[in-house]
Amino acid sequence: MRKWRCRNCGFIYDETLGLPDEGIAPGTRFEDIPEDWYCPDCGTEQDDFELVDY
Amino acid sequence: MTISEPLARTIIDPKSYARREIVDAAFAQIRAEQPLDKAELPDFEPFWVVSRHADIKEIERQPDIFHNGDMSTFLSPRDGVERVKALTGGEPNLIRSLVSVDGDEHKALRGVVFPHVTPRAIKPLEDQIRQIAREFVDHMLSFGGEVDFAQDVAFLYPLRVIMTVLGVPQEDEPFMLKLTQELFNNADPELNRRRAELTPEEMLKSLWETTMELEAYFAAVTEKFRANPTGQINSLIANATINGEFLNHRQLMGYYIIAATAGHDTTSNTTAGAMWALAERPELLKAMQESPDRINAFVEESIRWEVPVKHFMRSAVSDCEIGGRQIKGGDWLMLSYQSANRDETVWADPFDFRIDRDQNPQIAFGYGVHVCLGQHLARMEMRILWEELFKRLKSVEMAGPGERTISNFVCGPKHVPIRFTVN
Ligand code: HEM
Ligand SMILES: [Zn+2]
Repeated sequence: MRKWRCRNCGFIYDETLGLPDEGIAPGTRFEDIPEDWYCPDCGTEQDDFELVDY
Repeated sequence: MTISEPLARTIIDPKSYARREIVDAAFAQIRAEQPLDKAELPDFEPFWVVSRHADIKEIERQPDIFHNGDMSTFLSPRDGVERVKALTGGEPNLIRSLVSVDGDEHKALRGVVFPHVTPRAIKPLEDQIRQIAREFVDHMLSFGGEVDFAQDVAFLYPLRVIMTVLGVPQEDEPFMLKLTQELFNNADPELNRRRAELTPEEMLKSLWETTMELEAYFAAVTEKFRANPTGQINSLIANATINGEFLNHRQLMGYYIIAATAGHDTTSNTTAGAMWALAERPELLKAMQESPDRINAFVEESIRWEVPVKHFMRSAVSDCEIGGRQIKGGDWLMLSYQSANRDETVWADPFDFRIDRDQNPQIAFGYGVHVCLGQHLARMEMRILWEELFKRLKSVEMAGPGERTISNFVCGPKHVPIRFTVN
């Protein structure tokens, strides 16, 4: 599983954890998040997330 | 070794920000010699000066370790903070807004407005904002060939935009502008409440009076919007609940005040600074007219260039390492956005205004969970204004010296006299 970082504010989307509060189940791949989802901290859209290596 | 007293005084003195090249030179020296070091001045709690882009990001990425609300969120002398605590019953910040709270309270409060200011949520406002922008461009043209662009355009347009979004009637705009300027420009005799040079004690007193005047105004706003809710932001704030309860008095007031002040002064300063940059660079206007698709690059560069919010403070909850330095729990840190936006390791030519940068990771909106709530609105309204202006402007030059506000916090140009011709 991978992690993605919002370029604008640094928010990390961790595929392992998902975002259960927002209805995104643990294990959801970044590509499979609904299209209209945006960064929960700054509102930036999905195109502006980058893959990060941990 | 700590940062020398003259250097430390330069980067905190409101007067040096009125001559920005002094601050830029001081920070260039700090970035080169002591990029993360302490300033120890007799009248202030010691504070770290965080001058590099990467260190600010590293700090703002860790909101559990670096808090906003435990100490003053902007640079304030020791006895000023003590007086604020006496006034608030122990809180280090006069106003309890998003920038002075942490953790769950911050998350819950931010969530009240956040969904309404995402790029998608504000898109429907585009036409209405363009209408406002055209009105102000016409207003500018009505001056003939000379205008103080700061006073007569840049201060007024973002004010109209934010007040429309908040739900504040147009007739209250002058009141809002005056009180915002009092709040942010206390050190400037032209703009502060007393229109005079103030002692620190007088400054705090007038800040308190301004805050009380704003609170009196907003008390009526709560009543109005609880009786008749609308989709406007002040109505969302008035009617928001956390765990089934309305926001408490300080939370409500803090929210109204930050939205009604940070929501225009920042954007106004950026817009005025962009015009100043343009008026000194004839080739820039030409480039923008030849490549209108550079508009977003122009707006982003003008935000980097102007950096209307000069700093915010954080305090460390526990020991940790940043940029190779050991920060101790309880330490106070000054995040200099102005310095970070001139960081030579991020931009090869930070002192040039360029619209052809491949990347522009400017940090004028901050970073992390406190990143500016209004950033998408600010970008959109500036883009629209400049689209409208670039269509009309044929030439622009300075008609006299520009002038900057005396302030070390939220500030920028207060006079930008220009001479212009139109197509
Ligand atoms: C060019 C325009 C603007 C600039 C440069 C700017 C800059 C900033 C900065 C530096 C912060 C602190 C970020 C941090 O701590 O990391 C901030 C926070 C904030 N800004 Fe802006 N701002 C601008 C426009 C606006 C507008 C138009 C609004 C109107 C809604 C707004 C509302 C806020 C609020 C409510 C916060 C507090 C956010 C929080 O602490 O969670 N700002 N802004
Ligand atoms: Zn983000």
